[in-house]
Parts: sequence; structure tokens; C-alpha cells
Amino acid sequence: MNRSGVRTGALLTSALTGLMAAASLACAQDQGAARVMPDRWGTEVSAAEASLDRGNRTDAVARARHITAAYQQDGARNSAEHTSAGRAYALLGVGDAEAVRAALRAFDRAVAMDSSNIDAVRRTGALFLEKYNAPEARASYEMALKRAPNDAEALLGLARVEEFEGKGTPMATARRSLTANPRRAETLAYIARLHLDVEAFDSARGYAERAVAADSTEQASWGVLGAIAWITGDSTGYRRALRAATSLQPAPSTFNLALAEAAIRQRRYAEAVQLAQRAVRDDSLSVAAFGVLGTTQLRIGQMQAGRAAVERAFALDPFNVWHKNTLDLLDKMQTFRTVKQGRFEVVAPEDEADLLSLYIVPLLERAFDSLSVRYGYSPPTPVRLEFFRQHADFSVRTVGLNGLGALGVSFGSLLAMDAPNARERGTFNWGSTAWHELTHAFTLGASAHRVPRWLSEGLSVLEERRAAPGWGARASLPWLVAMNTGQVRRISELNDGFLRPRSPMETQNSYFQASMFSEWVELTKGAKALPALLLAYRDGLDTPAAFRKVLALSPEQVDTQFDAWVRQRFAKDLAAAQGMSPTDSSGGRFARVMRTALEMIEARPDSARKLFEEARGLMPEYASDDGPAWYLARIALVQKDTATALAMLQVVTSRDEVAWDANQLEATVREARGDRAGAMAALERMVWIWPYEPSIHVRYAQLATTQGQHTLAVRERRAVVANKPADLLDARYELARALATAGQPTEARRELLQVLEEAPSFEKAQALLLELRQRSGGASR
Amino acid sequence: MRRSHRVVLACAASVALLAPWSSAQAQRTHVLIVAGLSGAPNFKTAFNQAIGSTRIAARERWAVADSNFIALTEDSLSTATSQGQSTKANIAAAFLRMSKRVSAGDVVLVMLFGHGSGEGPGSKVNLPGPDATAAEYASWIAPFTQQQVVFVNAATGSGDFVPVLAKPGRVVITATRTAMERNESEFLGVFTKALSSEEADADKDGRLSVLEAFRYARAEVAKSYERTNRMLTEHAVLSDSIIAGRITFGGKAVSANPRVAALIAERQALESQVAALRVRKATMTAEAYDAELERLLLSIAGKTQAIKAAGGDK
Repeated sequence: MNRSGVRTGALLTSALTGLMAAASLACAQDQGAARVMPDRWGTEVSAAEASLDRGNRTDAVARARHITAAYQQDGARNSAEHTSAGRAYALLGVGDAEAVRAALRAFDRAVAMDSSNIDAVRRTGALFLEKYNAPEARASYEMALKRAPNDAEALLGLARVEEFEGKGTPMATARRSLTANPRRAETLAYIARLHLDVEAFDSARGYAERAVAADSTEQASWGVLGAIAWITGDSTGYRRALRAATSLQPAPSTFNLALAEAAIRQRRYAEAVQLAQRAVRDDSLSVAAFGVLGTTQLRIGQMQAGRAAVERAFALDPFNVWHKNTLDLLDKMQTFRTVKQGRFEVVAPEDEADLLSLYIVPLLERAFDSLSVRYGYSPPTPVRLEFFRQHADFSVRTVGLNGLGALGVSFGSLLAMDAPNARERGTFNWGSTAWHELTHAFTLGASAHRVPRWLSEGLSVLEERRAAPGWGARASLPWLVAMNTGQVRRISELNDGFLRPRSPMETQNSYFQASMFSEWVELTKGAKALPALLLAYRDGLDTPAAFRKVLALSPEQVDTQFDAWVRQRFAKDLAAAQGMSPTDSSGGRFARVMRTALEMIEARPDSARKLFEEARGLMPEYASDDGPAWYLARIALVQKDTATALAMLQVVTSRDEVAWDANQLEATVREARGDRAGAMAALERMVWIWPYEPSIHVRYAQLATTQGQHTLAVRERRAVVANKPADLLDARYELARALATAGQPTEARRELLQVLEEAPSFEKAQALLLELRQRSGGASR
Repeated sequence: MRRSHRVVLACAASVALLAPWSSAQAQRTHVLIVAGLSGAPNFKTAFNQAIGSTRIAARERWAVADSNFIALTEDSLSTATSQGQSTKANIAAAFLRMSKRVSAGDVVLVMLFGHGSGEGPGSKVNLPGPDATAAEYASWIAPFTQQQVVFVNAATGSGDFVPVLAKPGRVVITATRTAMERNESEFLGVFTKALSSEEADADKDGRLSVLEAFRYARAEVAKSYERTNRMLTEHAVLSDSIIAGRITFGGKAVSANPRVAALIAERQALESQVAALRVRKATMTAEAYDAELERLLLSIAGKTQAIKAAGGDK
């Protein structure tokens, strides 16, 4: 399918923008006489728009066609008639790019004929935004605001543009619109929806009720009220909203679509699909409904149905960049390979599927067993895990656009994440990330997708820490500073740390804070308290009620008691971070000692060592590869003190899940000291940071063989082969040898035959084949 | 019996076609390396390492006499690495000296390291003093008509050497596709690694063909760029893959022992049968194919054992 619509659209709008600008300059054509003539189509086009709002698309289209036919035949007599014709064309714009172009031309003519026609300018902005051209939409609204700085509708349009672009402050701009007109229902409903998006339900409800009071025919406000009622289980409120919405639109596609979008934000994907299906049933030409349906189906693994729905949405609107991106990605994913094993399906680029599944499936099987016991719940299987080599592809898979900062996502039994090589080596741990996302599948499922984001993330980070030494977030310098400066949210408000972060770092700090809360609950209330919290959410309780029921504490008590506990737990580190601020980490004793130590590390290593030891005493939890333990290890190595070096390296590798260099050094030192098991543990940690280094796998395999761990040696030899090293045949020969040693002669023979088929002269392989034959009792020929 | 006899004859014919020149004749290999101006210590180190590893491979794996190995570098005095400065005059003299030592069928390997400049016939590798052009190198190798010439320009911006130097029976390799690919190149390090290790011997027959070395280097360079998420800015070129597949380095000496020679011939015949079997693979069941393949491979392995027992393959 040709999906060049967006580019075409951009060219079109660009050309039309030029036309519009030229027309604005030529506004001297204003004709006073024409302006006073009545608009022959104003009433009719309003009726058409009302029909569309009611869901009567047939009537809307008929009326619009009538207007555009007259417009084409007779032309417009004044600016208002051009505007009405533009509105009629816009109504015909679903799946018809020419109608959209005609609408823009009509609005341009309206402005050219009467430069004071702000309505036409605003409608141009709205149409540009509807077709995803935010820069042109912004230009139109700014043009309108130049003429009327307090125009409430233009300000609202600008807020929508800001929201679309993900920059600026849409809430603040919408509030300016409200100041200009405090009873404007559309603005009130918009603000209500912004509050709904960040789960500020009380505020959302307040604004939506004000919108209804101002104009009860404003559909968006009923959508917000319906969504709040649906989320909170308020059946009375839901019925009221549905009744009102149905009176405005007998087949309430708009209402169900609003609910579907709210359900997605609540991560209740299966229910979102059902709601979107209702929206589609009620309006078979709704681009948004098909888009929401398709993308949500894709999120829960309904790949074929999801693709069909997105294809339908794209056919109706070829300008939609989300749908285009998604379809392009689905095309690309057709080249991916699916490895089905046990309870998992691993979907990855063809040349990575073997390597990644070799490690990830056993890890996730272990995680599945462990988590299902802990949470008393098992998600539906198979669990599908998708890997993306390009972070942009992962981002499109998740939100339809590039730019998502996350490493992984869980939609329940469908997980998606960056492949290890989507980012630089040493910047993330793909094992802990997968474990984290799989934990979501359990916590979401156990709570019927009602666990709030903050707790779900906290549990996932806690489970990472349990999974392997060093995995999961630790107390970071930014968190310590944030704690000292009052920048970390209280537990009762921690959801805002994810939904309304005041800085990018706040989200990271919130992950750790939530994980510490989970740890605290387990410590103080026992292991069963965490699954009990999930069940409380599943039963419809909100956070305060869940706290009271499970922890027997009010939210205020939780805040106070947890804060005291966490401050005591990290007392030393918090004290050492005193003097630092979020924007300047150079203050405080720890930073001073580290700075001085670093300055003398080359010239006076003994003095530096003492200072690093002091720094370590000040902040024992700080173990990144720029922390005191790392430098102490390096000094010790230079001084040939391998025992101290190892102790310090272990401090780093047991706390930093991406410490590639420290693990590499630890493996080398341990091997040199004859600690093969320790060296293997370090190599195992390295594999979860970056599995693409054949030399690491070779080394691991050799150590495993000497330790008699032949199954492990086979895995590592398979990893070497999966990495497609320069000498692939030799790698396959080594795999065959490992298989033979591990007591798998049939597999070894199969591998050898393939090697020798390629290279019959390969003497080492010949010898092994003969050996296998002799071992099996067959005579060599 | 007659049927089997025909098969052996047919295979022997195919062996003759497939066998590289090196195994058919007692060829010698002559190496001339010209390292141009380095411009920076890291390049100088890289050039010297490349010379060193090639010298070791030549001496230990290809049995090249030291007198048949000439390396010229930017240093004005002879060193452990260099037999002279890589001036235009010295290069011309080295070619002349080599032309007097070669015999028909010998392999002549010429390698240029450095930084390229110019375009077309005027392409150069920067040297101390005046630079030699591609056209001049072409004139210097012109007399080697009875030898198998492999000319490798591993310098940056070397691509335009191919059209100037390529001719039937000769292999020209350049690190880049055009004279315009002038970014720092990785080809040199990887290509010399291919020459000096077993990794590049793709068919594991103990001999390294020029084609195997080239393919190894090209693949490893591409992987290196991919690993570091960089756009590939060097595209190595090979002028003639057929000839490059026939010219090999290394391999075992031809045995004077008739028993060993016979066993080797039998093994080669079996290897040819494997090749023939592979052609028929699509027409056979997997089980039948595997059984026949294993039978042949075990026979080959048995021959190898017998050759070793008879004192061959050393």
C-alpha cells in the first residue's frame, strides 16, 4: 500500500499557506457592500455540522454537498459565504484530500476578501491541526490572536496545538482562553480532559460539570464525566453521562471513543478495545475510532485485526502520521522472526532472534515461575516479547510516534522493548528491563489492570532487584539530592511523579521511591501485603481505601511512616549529599572529598586512596562507575593488591547493573586468581549488558567447560554462533565439540555435518566426526 | 566396477578445474609492501603492525624467504620493519629487483598503506618526496605477465586504482570504491589480520585464497561500522573474484611420498563427491542426503588420518 499521503499533504498545505499569505496581503479587496449581504449557506452548514455531531453523517454530507455544489456553480458573494463553503468542504474531508484542499482554498478566499474574518482564520487553524500540520495551525491561530489577542477560541486552538506538539503549556494557554470567556463550554471541557489525562479526577469532574452547566450540549464534557465514572466504578454517574451523550448523539460513537481513550490511559486495553469497537460500530467513518481500535488491538497482540483497523483508519485519512508510522512498522516487522518456546514468543529482527531468545526465554521462564508464586496470579500465555533494534521503532510500536524515552513497555501479555543494541553498550540492562516489563504483566493482571502506575512501577523495580545481584534502581545521587531538597513526592501523591513530573529526573526518582515503598510494605506488613494491595485495587478501591484495608494506615500515616523509614535507611548517604542541589552537585562534603581525590589520583595515589575511602564511608550506597569504589579498585590494581581490588569491584558490580568495565575487570582478576566461578558470574552479568561480544562468550564457554558446566558451555557456544563471528565455521565446530562433551552426540553430529558440508577439508571437524562415530560404536570408513 | 571408475575419472577432472594454482605448482610468493607517509603516530603504529603481521604470516605460513619480502616505509633509515624509505625511486627499484627474482607462476603480492590523494590515473598514495601515481604503479607491474599479481591498495581514497591497474589475470583490491572515500579506513587492519590468521580461511582447507581474505575484510569492516552505528564510508573493491579465488597463500607442501600423494588424490576425489552431492541436495530426501554426506565425510576423515599416519600433511 502506498502511504505517501503525509508527504503529499505537507506539500499541499505548504502551497496553500503561501496562497493564504498572499491573500492576506491582498486584503485590500475588502468590499463593504459585499460584507452586509447575508450568508446564504450559514444556517445550512450549521445544520450539517449539527447532524454530524448527532452522528447523522448521511444528512451532514448531503447538506454539505448541496452547499459546495452551489459554491462551485455560483461562487460566493462575500467572505462569510466563502467561510461557509469551507466548512462544508471540511465536512466532506473524511477520506477525500481534495475536499480538504478545497476547504483551505475557501477559507483563504474568505480572509482575502475580508481580513477581519477571524472565524475563517481560526477554522484554517483547526483544519490544519485536524490534518496534523501543527506549525501551520499555530501560524493561523497566532494570526488570529494578533488581531484579537483575547480571542477565546483561538487561544483554545493554540492550546490544542501545544498539546499536539508536546511543548509549551497547553493548560496555561487554555486557562487564558477561559479568562477571556469563563463560561465557554468547549474550553471548560478541554481543561477537564487535560485533568482527566493526569488522573486528577476531582478537578476534571469540576471543570466538566461547569462545562455542562454552561452548555449541556457540549459532548466532550459528557465524555469526560462518563470516563471518570467508568474509571471509578460510579455506575450512576456513568448512566447519567451516557444518557446525556445519547440524547446528543443517538449512536454515541464520540462518547465511547472518549471512554476508550481513557481506558487506554488506565492501561485497561482489553476494555478499551471493546469500547472502540462500539465507537466503530456507531460510526463506520470515524478515523479516530478505527485508529484507537487498531492500535489497541495491536497492543494486546491481536495483530491481524489491529492491522486491518489501522489500515481502515489510514484509508479514511492518509494524513495521519501515527497510523502511517504504525503501518510502516508492521511492514518492517514482517521481516522479524518469532521464536516460540515454552510460555513465550520472542519476536526480533531476523539476525538477532536466536541470540536474544537463547537468553531471554530461560530468564523469563524463571521470572514467570517466581512471580506467579509471589502474586498468586499467572497472566495469559503465550507472553509475546518484541525487540526493536531501532529505538524509534520501539517508540512507534508504543505510542505511534518517535520520541518515547522508555526502554520497555508492558501491555499485559504483550511486552515490547529496545533490543540491547538499540542503545550504547553500558547504558541499559536488557535482562532487568525484560524482568521489569514481565512483572507489569503480573501486577496489571492481578489487579484487573487497576493498579495505579506508581505502584506498578515500584513493584517492577523491586522485582528487578530481587532477580539478580546488581539489577534494579539504587539510591542515586539525584534521588538523595531530591530527598534533601524536598523534591520527592509523598507516597500518597507519587502518581503525579509519573503523570505530572516537574522535571525529567523526577520520573526516575519516582521509580526508586515507589520501589522503596514496596520494600517497606513487605518489610513492615509481610510478603502478602503487596499482592493484597493489588487485590484491593482489583476490587475497585482507590489508593486511600487500599492503604486502609491492607496496611491499616491512612495515606497520611503511610507518608509519615515511610518517610521516617526511608530517611533512616539512607541516613548516611543523605547526610553526605547535604549541600548539593538539583542543579549543582558540587556542594557538600562528599563532592569535595571526591574532587580532591580525583585531582591527586595520578600523582599521589596513596593520598587519593585515603580520600576515596573516606568518600565511600560518607556515601556507602553510591557505587556507580564514577564512585569511590571504582577508583579504589583501580588504585588497588595498580598497586597489585588484587584482594582489595576485587572487594571494591564487587561493590560496583553488585550495585550497578550496567557496569561493563567493572565486570570485565572483575572477570579478569578473578580468573587470574583462579576463581573461575566468580569470573563466570561476572561474565554472566556482562552478557545482560551487551550480548554481542563473541570474545566474552568464548571466554565464558571455556570457563564453563573447565568447571564441568557443559550445558552452560553449550549455551555460550550457541551465543558465539548466533553472533555470526568472522570464523563462523570454527565457532560451529566448537559448538559441536561442546555438544559432544555435554552428552548430546546427535546434535553434535548434526552440527558437524553442516560444518563439513561447507568445508570438507576442515580437519578438526573431521577428527571430531570420526570420534563421535567411534564413540557410538560405528566403524569409521 | 566400471561405473565407479567413470565416476572417479569425472571427479578427477573436476578436481583439476577446482584446484587452485598453488596446489598444482610449486609456486613461490614475493611480497612488496609500501607504507607511505603516516602523518600521525597512530597511523605509523598501524602501518608498522600491518607490516609486522604480514611478515610473520609470509615467513611462517606461506614459506616466503626473507629475501622475497620487501617493506619500504617513510623512515629514512632501515629499521626492523623497513628495508628502505618508501620514495618513488626506491619503489621503482624494488619492483625492478623483484622482477629479476620471480619465476613463471609465482605469486606477487604488492600492498600499499597510507593516505590517498588525486583521482583517476593520477591517484596516489602520499610518499616521502614526489608521489607515484596509479599509472606509474601500472607501468611497474606491467612486466609481471607470467606471474599471478595481487595488487592491494589499502590506503584511503584508493578506489581509482582499480580501473588503472586491473587487467585479465591480475587481482586489484582497494580499500575504497572511489578516490572520494577519504575518511579514515579500517580495511588495512582487517585485511592484514585476514592474511595472518586462520579466521579468514572460510573453507578450512588450510590455504587462504585472496578472495577469502577480501570477503573476510569486507564483512568485518561492515560489522565494525554497524556495531558502532556509523554509516559505512568505505567500500572495498575487488577487480576479479574468479582469479582471486584461485590465488592462495599457504597450504601444505606437495608430498614426494607416492603413498601420501595417492591418499591426497583420493581425498580430493571424495571432496569433489561432496561438492557433487551438494548439487543434488534438492533432489534427495534429507535422510538420504545426510546419510550419504556422512559416509563421504567419514571417508574423507579416514583419508586424513591415513595421510597423517603415512607422514603426510606436515
